[in-house]
Parts: sequence; structure tokens; C-alpha cells
Amino acid sequence: MEIEFEAVLVGKKILGKGNALLTFSCGGIAGKAQPGQFVNVSCSYFLKRPFGICFVNLEAGTFSIGVREAGVGTKDILQSKIGDSFFVLGPLGHGFSFEGVTKIIAVGGGTGIYPLYFALSKAREIGIPTICVNGFRSREDAFFLEECKGIAGDVLISTNAGDYGVKGNVIDALAQLSETQMQGAAVFVVGPEIMMRKVSEWAAKNGISCQVSLERRMACGIGICLVCICKVKTSEEGVPFHHVRCCREGPVMNASEVIW
Amino acid sequence: MVDLSVCVGNVDFRNPVILASGTCGFGRELSEYIDFAGIGGICSKGLTLLPREGNPGCRAAETASGMLNSVGLQNPGLDMFLTRELPFMAGLGTKIIVNVAGHSTEDYQRMVERLGSPDCAVDVLELNLSCPNVKEGCMTIGATAEGVYSMMRAVRGLTAKPLWVKLTPNVTSITETALAAQEARGDAVVLINTLLGMAIDINSRRPVLQNNTGGLSGPAIKPVALRMIHECYRILSIPIVGVGGIMNASDVIEFMLAGAAAVEVGTASLLHPAVCAKIIEDLQTYAADNCIEKISTLTGDLQPW
Repeated sequence: MEIEFEAVLVGKKILGKGNALLTFSCGGIAGKAQPGQFVNVSCSYFLKRPFGICFVNLEAGTFSIGVREAGVGTKDILQSKIGDSFFVLGPLGHGFSFEGVTKIIAVGGGTGIYPLYFALSKAREIGIPTICVNGFRSREDAFFLEECKGIAGDVLISTNAGDYGVKGNVIDALAQLSETQMQGAAVFVVGPEIMMRKVSEWAAKNGISCQVSLERRMACGIGICLVCICKVKTSEEGVPFHHVRCCREGPVMNASEVIW
Repeated sequence: MVDLSVCVGNVDFRNPVILASGTCGFGRELSEYIDFAGIGGICSKGLTLLPREGNPGCRAAETASGMLNSVGLQNPGLDMFLTRELPFMAGLGTKIIVNVAGHSTEDYQRMVERLGSPDCAVDVLELNLSCPNVKEGCMTIGATAEGVYSMMRAVRGLTAKPLWVKLTPNVTSITETALAAQEARGDAVVLINTLLGMAIDINSRRPVLQNNTGGLSGPAIKPVALRMIHECYRILSIPIVGVGGIMNASDVIEFMLAGAAAVEVGTASLLHPAVCAKIIEDLQTYAADNCIEKISTLTGDLQPW
């Protein structure tokens, strides 16, 4: 099976300072990608950089990722031009499970909105109702909302500054949901770890299942180097926890298994 | 047709390219992307008597032309390896090397006894006296010639299978530890494991790795590996398996010229999972283009100034 592809940058949409949606031509990845999976993209530095897949276009044979500047590697990738070529591994990891899911509350923080968009697209395709909850620092920092509004049933926004949507964080926004909206839903969360932890606690308190997409420093992305570990619960006697690989067993994990 | 086969002591390999320990697991993941029947051999993830979860927190840091890791020998332990992983490896159709790590002499002895028994489907045991990411055993033993010698003496009589000794470059004189391995009847030395290093986050003012230090690998360490292999080749009578920053066929040729009978490819697999297959293909082309009938003739053929 082919896992590494040469992908050409065919689209670049700037969505703010140091934030862009990049589209690559690569039928091999586009044809197989599932929501929650990621790609590992080469840059001018030694290691590839992992990004959750935002959406695919099967007809065009392209996949898109959202990239926000977080260090030298992402800065380098953001500076690339249309026509530039990359080595890309993908699609990688274990994505969101739609098994038994009949309603989705998708909760995103910052760039978490990108991989959630793929999950929302699939939900729409298979007829699952969705509510999308996105948290930003302020209105100025908000991005990709029109796209989400286009595919999600409802979109709720929270801003810390309070200048757009609910004032506060995503938990404050989730507090606005009615019993009916929450009933029978599954929560999908992608964002900063503290946010995912708080949302998973909120979901547990409300008896809602919750899937989180974990982020770690990665190297290989395929499960052979064991650097991107996450602590999970185990029922084995005398064993307090196990380390599993974010890139292989994850990045999407059942929140109830994660030791934060 | 070029003959890519090589011998390391009395073990024959179909070509000199072996997947290095710690960067291929037990072959499961990579078997989805490469045909092991074309690879020289596979060396398992560092194995310990009991399961280990490894070090907590951040385990990797990118560096100039390389990376640091502080995995800390996360592995399922010997029993699980024998029941679950070894049968899988045995079906890969390539030579199986098991990297043996431990806390104490007793650990190493018990593992060598079981993995080195004639009915166990392991071709070679690679004694890990060099992992820098654990508090006991490994590099703490391999840091001195006395440590290497006494450990080798403690395990040598327990198996008739080839025992390779993977040595650490974090020593004053690599020739002393290599000679100690030879004197204690090691069948080959594997040079080199990672160099102990550190990365610092200037914002948090903390080391990037939660273990504070880690092992440096990748092209950054290739010149050190070549120098050490060359030094050892001049004085050893046992073969050398070269490892440290090999990314392509040209690097393999350099390692062989310096004195390596075979090589292990590690960090490169993390960047390009199928790199070993490409390296082997390119070795064929190189040898054919340069009228080399037998690749093993390159070993030690360096002409120093």
C-alpha cells in the first residue's frame, strides 16, 4: 500500500494573519481520507508536520488542510507557493467514529474547526443533524465560520472578548443548548487540550458520549517511533495506565479512555 | 546482476540494509508499506524482560538535520513479544534481530537464555548497551570497557546464536568498548547508538523533552558514526554493523567503505516509511554503474590520506 505521496499545492486561501487553507493535488490521499484523519506534510525542516484533513474533493483528487503558524515548520509551509511540491504521508490515524451516532455536537477551538469541518461534511452527506460550536478569542480572530454555517445545522460562537456570540468559552456556549438539542447527541471535540478536557467533562456530566482529537509532538505519524504518546485508562490489575500512540490509536480517542 | 548479499560473521543477509531498532517497531506498521522479503533484516524495538510504558510527556524534539528522542524503551516485554510479535516477525521472510535491553545483568541473562535458545525464531541477538534514555542498564553498562566486557561474559555462554553488541558513542574511546566486546567473544559490534543531547524551549525555559535529555539521531550524527566505524575497523577482527544517520544509498556506500559489513537504517524510516526499499534499489544501480559485482567488496575499502 502506498502511504507517501508527492503532492502539489494547487490552492491557497488566506484566512487571517498566519492562517490559511491549503489545497493539495493528491488523489491517493483524497480517495481514502476519513474525517478526523491527518496528513504529515514535509517542509524545509527535518520532520514532517501533522495537520487534520479539512475536506477532500474526490472529483478533483484534492485534499485541503488548515494551517496556522505555530513555529518554523508551519511558517515555512505557509510561505509556499502554488505549484510547490511536498512529500505527504496520509491519510493517517484513526478518525471520528460515526457508528451509532445520530446527532453531532461538534466543538472546535481555534484551528480545531478545520478537521471538524470534514466531520460536519460527512454528517450532512449521511443525513446526521449537527450543531457546531466554535470558540475564538475575539471576533477579529474568528475564521472559517461562513463555511461552517454552510454545512452545520446550527452554529454557536463564543468569544473570550464577548464581541461576537456568547461571551466566554465554548463551555459557556454549550450551556445554552437545550435538553432537546443535547438528547441523543455525540460530541466531537478538536482544540487546545484544556478545552477538550473541559468539554469532555461537560459531556460526561450530561451523559453524552465524547470523542476528542489529541495533538502531540509527532515524528513518523505511522506508529513506529512512539514519541506521540497519550495516557489511557486500563482495566488490567496493577497497571495504572497504558501509553498509546496518538498517530495510530488516535488522534481521535474516546474521551472516557483518556487520562488528562 | 549485482550480488548485494553480505555476511556478518556467520549470518548471511540478502543485502546489507537492516531496519534499525526503535524505528520499525516489530515490523507490523511498515509491513503495510514495504515487502520485507526484499530487506536485509529487521531489528526489533528494544525489548526488556517486563513490559515498559517508557518515559512520560514530550518525547521528541526536532534539531538541525536530526531529532532527539526520549522514548525510554516502551515495549510489551519479553512474554508478549514471544507470543504476539515474534510469530508475526517470523512470517516477514527476512532475518530477525532482537534488540535486548535490561536493568541488570540478570535481566540480560534471562532474556538471552530465552531468545537465544535454538527453538526460538531469532537469528541474531543485539545487546543494547547504549540506550541513553533509561536510568539503569543499557548506556550505564556500555559506558566503560569493563561494563561491556563483564556483561558480555555474563551472557556469552548462554547462547550459541550470534551476539551483536550495540555500543554508545557517548564515550571517550569507542575502540576500548569495541575491543572489550570482541575480547568477550561478541560476534559483531553495532556502531553507533544515539548521541546524548538536549533541546531547550526559550519561552518556558525548560528542556523540550520531559526527560530533560534524549538521544540525537539522523544525518546530524553521520560524521561521528563514520569516524567511529573507521577507527574500529582498523583494529577489530570482528565485523561492524554501521548505523547513524543513513538516509540514502550513497550513505550506505560511505558506511561500507568506512568498514561496515552491513548497515542499519533508523531515523530515515520515520521520514519516508519505504526508504529501505528505495535504498536497496539504488544500491543495485550504483553497483551496476560502477562495475561492482559484489557489494561486500566495498567493506573497509576506504583509502585514507
